[in-house]
Amino acid sequence: MTEPGGHGDGGDEIPAAPTGFLRRYVFSTDHKVIGKQFLFLGLSFLAVGGLMAMLIRWQLARPGVPVPIVGGLLFGSAGGVISPAAYTALFTMHGTIMIFFAVTPILIGGFGNFLLPLMIGARDMAFPRLNLASFWTMAAATGVLTASFFVPLGPPQAGWTAYATLSTAIGAPGVGQTLWVVAIYLNGASSVMGAVNYITTVIRLRAPGMTYFRMPLTVWGFFLTSILNALFVPVLAAAMVLLFFDRVFGTQFFVAGSTVGAGGDPILYQHLFWLFGHPEVYILIIPAWGIVSDLLSFFARKPAFGYRTTVYSLIGVVILSTAVYGHHMFTTGMSPLLGESFMVLTMIISVPTSLLYLNWLGTLWRGATRLSTPMLFCLGLVFTFGVGGLTGLYLADIVADMYLHDTYFVVGHFHLIMAAALLLASFAAVYFWFPKMFGRFMNESLGKLHFWPTFVSLNVVFIGQLLIGYAGMQRRLYDPSVYDFLRPLLPLNRFISEAAYVLGASQLIFVVNFFWSLFRGAHAPKNPWGVGTLEWTVASPPPHHNFDRLPVVVRGPHEMGHPAAWALGRDWLAQDELPIHAPGDGVAATAAQGAAQSPPDGSPEGPP
Amino acid sequence: MSAAASARQHRREVDATVGLVIFLGATAMLFAALLLAYAILRAEAPSWPPAGTPPFPRGAATVNTAVLLAASLALRHARSTGRRAPAFGALALGTLFLGLQALLWRHLVATHLGPSAGPLGDVFFALSAFHGLHVLGGLVALAVTRARPLRLLSLYWDFVLAVWLIIYLAVCWL
Repeated sequence: MTEPGGHGDGGDEIPAAPTGFLRRYVFSTDHKVIGKQFLFLGLSFLAVGGLMAMLIRWQLARPGVPVPIVGGLLFGSAGGVISPAAYTALFTMHGTIMIFFAVTPILIGGFGNFLLPLMIGARDMAFPRLNLASFWTMAAATGVLTASFFVPLGPPQAGWTAYATLSTAIGAPGVGQTLWVVAIYLNGASSVMGAVNYITTVIRLRAPGMTYFRMPLTVWGFFLTSILNALFVPVLAAAMVLLFFDRVFGTQFFVAGSTVGAGGDPILYQHLFWLFGHPEVYILIIPAWGIVSDLLSFFARKPAFGYRTTVYSLIGVVILSTAVYGHHMFTTGMSPLLGESFMVLTMIISVPTSLLYLNWLGTLWRGATRLSTPMLFCLGLVFTFGVGGLTGLYLADIVADMYLHDTYFVVGHFHLIMAAALLLASFAAVYFWFPKMFGRFMNESLGKLHFWPTFVSLNVVFIGQLLIGYAGMQRRLYDPSVYDFLRPLLPLNRFISEAAYVLGASQLIFVVNFFWSLFRGAHAPKNPWGVGTLEWTVASPPPHHNFDRLPVVVRGPHEMGHPAAWALGRDWLAQDELPIHAPGDGVAATAAQGAAQSPPDGSPEGPP
Repeated sequence: MSAAASARQHRREVDATVGLVIFLGATAMLFAALLLAYAILRAEAPSWPPAGTPPFPRGAATVNTAVLLAASLALRHARSTGRRAPAFGALALGTLFLGLQALLWRHLVATHLGPSAGPLGDVFFALSAFHGLHVLGGLVALAVTRARPLRLLSLYWDFVLAVWLIIYLAVCWL
């Protein structure tokens, strides 16, 4: 199991960097360029999806009032008012874009691609051309999805889950929904190509000495997510194939049959969708967990607490996540026995998740914490994920779910995790690896100025959604003021919307910081944060072939506060630094580091 | 070929095998999900085949199965002997299989067993059409690649054959 990749045996050739604009920046096979392409694509769609959320919040705060500034342009025929059809299309596309075209490309496509080979000590992915195909398949998917806005009968309106019969030819006669199906299929194909690549890369291309249990937790996150991607995205693809056949060839898989004659079954679609859909939430969150587990250690200047437990917890979550999807369908009239099994399995997931969470707290405990911008975002995630995770327990409980199902409580719960936690993890990752990606720092002051309003407002928005959901407001509701019992909630809805505008506006700070730093940021050295994982042993940005000599790994990723490192005048050791003798035997420095300094002072605490 | 170059080539072939196995695992999940949909529809139907469904032409499907089996065997032969001729035979047989499937679909549509004519037709059409796309992919790979990765191609064809055998048994005989 721990036989490291096959690099040592065949001599390793350094591939020549391509010349020419197209091969270098557009159709590149370099994982670093592809990672950046995914990152830019994801961030662009994050902006689009975010603007849609602003429009949705406008309608909920001020139903039927024309949208200021952009209303005439977007909803000209309705006098600037968001019509019910436009509203339905908005929340459909908001969910679709955020999940499939923003978060997936940013974390998995962007950081997964950029970091995996660098962190395991490889020159590139196992299949660079497949990687290229993966990005351009995703690009094609975005093209198809965008096209659905411009067809007769408009964009899809069946929600991001596209439940039958809303999504079959009866509920959605337009071409828009068919294009949606094709876009999701292509998006899934891109994910599976990526997963094949990531898994093979981790299994085969780890540098000598990089055992599985020396991999950074970030790599574990991408590795496990890729396994789920490879197994469960195809199930979504199957649902899309059948939906496509229903819409185009007139089959009736998801069209209800009569009690006498055989026919299809709309619930069948839900089974297929959630069979994919529940692993999907872990597909999205596990990379974020991995990144945060590493970053908390790096900025607390301590080894990650319970590294192995964290890995086993992640594996436990991956296994359990395959068998809990039924909790999305408690209200479909499933057998109580089946429902209870799903309830119990869902609750069991909180065991490995809690271990993971306790390990985070253990890492933070008595650390020499540095509150740099990436760390602020990580700590923000620790909070929002805590709240989001706990509210999941209410929804896992059948009795509570009967009441809370399809209310804003569900919306608040999954936004705290899918939106808040993932957004915070993505920002932490951007601030942390920006110097490595582009060779320049992002501005710290602007970063902190970005963090605080973002953190406060997103908690107001999503915890506010929990409250109005608990008060009974249904999700996907066009105009809450039509119900007497929801009318008192209007002030709260307005407050949530105003917090949402603050959330939206504070992202402008990030945009300014991102582009300003891209061109004008301070130049970053090789290892600005003082951490030991392999990507920080090469130049910022790394050369085309990543490593001049493939590293030989001798230790784990979180050697923080290692007594032997003090002799070198720092508190960390790189994963490929030559062995250092135990502090007791008096030889504290490495041959590679040159002159040995005085031995450590023997204090058990790390340097501040 | 130097020792280093041959070691490198061996390494790449193992990489490719690992990647292909993961890809086939993903594809297997796709077909498993399609078969699950079939199982659920069938379990919910009052009777199967549904009342009024014309008999399914099992004979024609059996002939097609034999052709696909022959293609897979030809490719195995090409792989074990290292000769190209049986690989061309596999290409021809694979193409023949798709042609015969097209004829079968035409016949099914004509006898009210096509898509939109009822659950049995829907199921067979969806499963076999999607399987056909994978056969087509295998044919393209066989036509454009040189002799080198025959082992991988043969693995892929065996997979496509296995999927077809399951579909054939599940839809025609169960």
